[in-house]
Amino acid sequence: MTAQPMNSRQRVLAALRRQPVDRTPVCNPTSVATVELMDLVDAYFPHANREPELMARLAATGYTELGFDSIMPVFSIIQESSALGCKIQWEQKDNWPTVKMREPIWEKPEDIVIPPDFLTHPDTRCVIEAIRLLRREFGDEVAIVGKTMGPWSLGYHGFGVEPFLLLSLDDPGKTMQCLDRLKEATVAFGLAQIEAGADALTLPDHATGDLVSGEYYARYLRDLHIEFSQRLPAPIILHICGRTVDRMEYIAQTGMAAFHFDSKNAPAESMEIVKKRISLVGNLNNPETLFSKGPEEVRAEVYRNLEAGVELVGPECAIPLQTAIENLVEIPKAVRDWHREQATRN
Amino acid sequence: MAKTAALGRRVELVPMDPHCQDITIALYRQEAADGPRYQVHSFSGRPGVVARLDFVAGATAVLGGMAAVGPGQVRFACGGAHELAARRAFLEACKLDPAQPLAARPLQFFDKKTGHQIHVAPLGGGVYQVALEGGDAGRAAAVAGGLVKLGQMQNPAPDQAAFPCGQAHDALIGLLVVRAVNVRATLREQEMQAARGQLAAPSAQQQ
Repeated sequence: MTAQPMNSRQRVLAALRRQPVDRTPVCNPTSVATVELMDLVDAYFPHANREPELMARLAATGYTELGFDSIMPVFSIIQESSALGCKIQWEQKDNWPTVKMREPIWEKPEDIVIPPDFLTHPDTRCVIEAIRLLRREFGDEVAIVGKTMGPWSLGYHGFGVEPFLLLSLDDPGKTMQCLDRLKEATVAFGLAQIEAGADALTLPDHATGDLVSGEYYARYLRDLHIEFSQRLPAPIILHICGRTVDRMEYIAQTGMAAFHFDSKNAPAESMEIVKKRISLVGNLNNPETLFSKGPEEVRAEVYRNLEAGVELVGPECAIPLQTAIENLVEIPKAVRDWHREQATRN
Repeated sequence: MAKTAALGRRVELVPMDPHCQDITIALYRQEAADGPRYQVHSFSGRPGVVARLDFVAGATAVLGGMAAVGPGQVRFACGGAHELAARRAFLEACKLDPAQPLAARPLQFFDKKTGHQIHVAPLGGGVYQVALEGGDAGRAAAVAGGLVKLGQMQNPAPDQAAFPCGQAHDALIGLLVVRAVNVRATLREQEMQAARGQLAAPSAQQQ
């Protein structure tokens, strides 16, 4: 810890570099939008996923209303998939837009073409413009986190989950060709967001614990993730859902700044594996705690993470849209209280 | 400066109100000296929201047999919480067509499954007895069980349900008995509503 007071942006960036901070930052590498926050600023889904002003306005509530140290405007995981040509179910205020993966757009690696308008497509441009607006409004006071999807997730979206997984079993060579083509979309979208003002990027790559093993991660993704950390000149926060302790060793080798980890992994156990080679962020359980329980239980999970030494505290993934605001504001409150208690004890 | 007021503990939420521009309306529980109070609230500043919240609070009071104690605020006269029942009153109030007259629901209900009328009779002290015209004791017990579950009530006899506060709540019984005939469907509906808005990883999505 450092005695020097920091602003939110300084705090997040320092924690991503594992440098001293005045207190643990509260960071959301994924969405903290809720239906009540949509009402508060009159920015509803699905429009807040497609119009930059609404996207920026809704995202800002994470900082202005909830007291987080970061703003993350990319609520969904479909923006670049839409620009790549996937069919999207945009849904309505109370649900997430999704890719219609039963209607795949690719069958083989050669089908993957990044369209020339990839970065000017309305659904990618929306993100880039929203980041620009947020940077203009908030200057250097809060960390603005962008998001670019990794090639494994884009593979699911473009080929469909089952066909892509079967391809990875049947033909590793073709799978690598797919990933090599798709990684250029990841890099292009990431660079555009950094240029627009993003301080860091979340990179979700859904090699999730339920479908993909640690060995698979090492075979297909570790080197690609090392490449991303070299080609994208901003701290990268890798996001993979589920139980991932079997690949945390590999993830810690990638050079990425942080790993956004799921509540299925105990904080202390995860810290023991990564050994300060990568920061950890997240871990607060969404469905059982933030959505279904109350501030006391939220506080207990925050404390569990702080006691394990987790560098940045936040929800494990995009929070359910019906999450109560009182549970979300409890996160920064609990972090401040924990640090106060530590200071008193010492 | 944060605009989110301290409203108490949120106990129920309607994410998209079909009668008012898809705004989100929630029910918050606040503790007071005379017992819990429930606040109907929306963060929306859209035109017409204040009137809509007044209607929902009023309808919640009528359907739940509650008293209005402030703008958008209701409580039970007994001072009890009856939280599950209050939530049900709020949910049903949000569904009501605002153009229709408001009235508490009767203690009789036609049971489609048996083709008989269900009667719920107050016995005093907050105890209610369920009877079917056809005299089906098993069905009466099942409906009483449904009331116990949905209203956080006690079960002094197989065909009876009792409020722990010992007070009469006829309006609540009229509201709950309609749902008590099929508790499983009611709970399933609640679960489906709660599952909306939870983001699944691509690997866990159904489409």
